[in-house]
Amino acid sequence: MSSLLVLSERAVREAKRTPDALLPTLFIPVFFLIVNVGQVGKIFPADTTLFLEGQSYAAFTLPSSLLLAASFGSSALYLVEEIENGYLDKLRATPVPRSFISLGRLSAEAIKSVGMTIAIVLIALPFGISIASGPLGFVLLIVITAGWAVGYSGFLQFVALKTRGAAATQSASLIFFPLLFLTPNFVPRDMLTRPMEIAATLNPVTYVMEAMRSLILDDFNATVVGRGFLVVAVFVAAMLWLNVRTMRTYD
Amino acid sequence: MEAAVETEKLVKTFKSRSDTVEAVRGVDLRVQAGEIFGFLGPNGAGKSTTVRMLTTLTTITSGKARVSGVDVAADPDEARRRIGVALQEAGLDPRQSGRELLILQARLFGASKAEAAKKAAELLELVDLVDAADRLTRTYSGGMKRRLDLGTALVHQPEVLFLDEPTTGLDPASRLAVWEEVRRINSLGTTVFLTTQYLEEADQLCDRLAIIDGGLIVSEGTPDGLKADLRRRRGLQHDPTLDDVFLDATGRTRERVAGEVQEVHA
Repeated sequence: MSSLLVLSERAVREAKRTPDALLPTLFIPVFFLIVNVGQVGKIFPADTTLFLEGQSYAAFTLPSSLLLAASFGSSALYLVEEIENGYLDKLRATPVPRSFISLGRLSAEAIKSVGMTIAIVLIALPFGISIASGPLGFVLLIVITAGWAVGYSGFLQFVALKTRGAAATQSASLIFFPLLFLTPNFVPRDMLTRPMEIAATLNPVTYVMEAMRSLILDDFNATVVGRGFLVVAVFVAAMLWLNVRTMRTYD
Repeated sequence: MEAAVETEKLVKTFKSRSDTVEAVRGVDLRVQAGEIFGFLGPNGAGKSTTVRMLTTLTTITSGKARVSGVDVAADPDEARRRIGVALQEAGLDPRQSGRELLILQARLFGASKAEAAKKAAELLELVDLVDAADRLTRTYSGGMKRRLDLGTALVHQPEVLFLDEPTTGLDPASRLAVWEEVRRINSLGTTVFLTTQYLEEADQLCDRLAIIDGGLIVSEGTPDGLKADLRRRRGLQHDPTLDDVFLDATGRTRERVAGEVQEVHA
């Protein structure tokens, strides 16, 4: 396990040394938060909009920004760079389990996501946001977001290992945008048009978003939160399995 | 005496949807412990693929390969503990310093934090990178990267060191420094398995060598022995060079070989 820790430390060090890659990850989600609130905040005032549970519209749209930030992981692009410059082979020639090479980067993505989530929530506080489910809810919000970050970075790393190319990996990262917009990200699911509601119901990201929203707006809705965690757990497990399998058979 | 590297009918086939390429077609090799063994061949002959199979980086299609007595397919982790690898590309993480990379490599081979730091300091001295130790490797020159790569291959004192074209792209001074380093490592008891396109390099460094062409070994022996054999077979009046041996073994002419194998004088 110490090898995994060493590889994780390396990836964290790498992230600290590339603020140019981290800053857009923070800026773009915050930008979306501000723009969303600016565009529809007046339509949904806190005191008369039931689904806001007394909070500002920023609280409703915060999960979109958190999920967006969690989907901007850079680990896959660094992995492509290591495939291209030969460093991945250097690591593969060591006696550490090959899966650790993938997992080291993914664990660093989880750590980065924790920092990013805390930063975005702090930035969002002046917009009148509070975490209704309390400190435990805040921790759960951080955990579910970090889980999503690991799963999505795992997906991108899988694409990187399969294609060994930056272009394909970069393109794969864009898949998240349609997934994000096929969710109840502006209004609750029951207020969507029927076709959109069906699409959102079929989209697993919806359940993660609803769980995050529930932690922010509700006291604590175990069913909604549990469903979100289940989706993240299945997603993470599937992506870890694909990463480990691909790294072990990488030739 | 146990061979440091031994292969039997080693084969590697790459398959794609439209094509099948036999990169290595039944290589038999035996490298004695303590040797500097040269593995020569034109581009695409199968040198790097053979090295990648021996270093567990590529799966073996058929045949056997043992390094320090360990079957690389059956026990790859144990094989990795016994070998050091510096591949064609000096594969380094550009966002870490030389010292950090050496420490990381040592820790991946099981060293404690303190042991890894001590080993890194020793190796930085050895590869003459003490002054640049704490700079990110992306600021290193080609020669410095190659020396650091060599250093990372030595963190665990490997029994066999695989060097895949270690001097390709280096200036003459850096090339000489690498040769000196290879000799020094070998003098400490490490077997060196070296692929190269530079015939003078093989002549200068190697105790024995094999020439591979089209995935098959076409000639094997000591540099002097191979030259003497060619002189005898061809009834030459002058002493042939290793270039002549190479051309004879691969059936190439000087014109055809231009661009495939280069003569470089350090």
